[in-house]
Amino acid sequence: MRMSKIVRTATDILYPFIIIFGFYIILHGHLTPGGGFQGGAVVATGTALVLVAYSWKELPGLVSKNLLWFQESGGLLLFIGAGLAAMIIGFPFFYNWLAGSGSIFGTPVAFGPNPGDLNTGGFLPIMNIAVGVEVWGGLVMVLLYLLSALEREERA
Amino acid sequence: MKQIIALITILVFAGSLLMIVTNFQFGVPIKSDMDDYFLKFGQVQTGTNNQCTSVTFDFRGFDTLGESTVLFTAVMGVALMFRRFIRGEDDADE
Amino acid sequence: MIELVVHVLVLIGLIISAVLTITFKDLLAAALASGVFSLLISVEFYILQAPDVAISQAAVGAGLTTAIFIIAIRATQRFEGETE
Repeated sequence: MRMSKIVRTATDILYPFIIIFGFYIILHGHLTPGGGFQGGAVVATGTALVLVAYSWKELPGLVSKNLLWFQESGGLLLFIGAGLAAMIIGFPFFYNWLAGSGSIFGTPVAFGPNPGDLNTGGFLPIMNIAVGVEVWGGLVMVLLYLLSALEREERA
Repeated sequence: MKQIIALITILVFAGSLLMIVTNFQFGVPIKSDMDDYFLKFGQVQTGTNNQCTSVTFDFRGFDTLGESTVLFTAVMGVALMFRRFIRGEDDADE
Repeated sequence: MIELVVHVLVLIGLIISAVLTITFKDLLAAALASGVFSLLISVEFYILQAPDVAISQAAVGAGLTTAIFIIAIRATQRFEGETE
């Protein structure tokens, strides 16, 4: 199930950069183009490169099924929990109560072009991280199930 | 006969697409009240420089919630479908 | 001017890769041509100033869909019309 040595060597060089670029897109989702879904898809693509180049059984640390399920449901729960936290304080559902409040992610932003600050955006960075983790877990999970069913088919 | 009907259908669709392209100018919507509101107040209200993210995650947060739920349901469907093929292989809880 | 030339080249490449996708008998080559189509259409989105859509198209269309197609071809057969 392993691919050729050329593919494996190229994968070894490329995949850390792809995954780190995906994390960059997720974390800077409120400043630069991209966001949770795009960054999660890029990270999942980097993981899929490793999964297709190697056999998935050689990589127990990168693609553990329990960890992926935890990512998938934990991301969705974090997303809904961030929306419900506004209701607990007394605002409507999904109200951005952190923006401009001065606490974490709460630096006020002036109107017009500006260089941008990572510590802005209210709960939008939290939402981006939640959706990114969820998309990463979900897409890798689909590939992992397809590959494991394929190996079962080939052995039978 | 069937070819003539197919040709007429293709012509009608191509003509309507070309009519849309030629009649409406790109980037100039007919009604732009909502867009103007987002562009004017979105940056200060949500504290983001990327207006796409401020619309998809804040003003239209329910859409993203639905999208996440759809992705979760799709992955769960794939997992349930392929679970039959790999039962007993690495699922220790069964 | 240079923008128009890039635009026309990308559109010609889109049509060529789309035709190649449906004419190849080798399904692995057809899947790769489909991936090239997705990559070119993400370049087109970037030229039309939609970088968000370009990133998600490049990641999902050119990366994950091609990987899923390759896995599916590995599970079935490589050439179209081949009998078991």
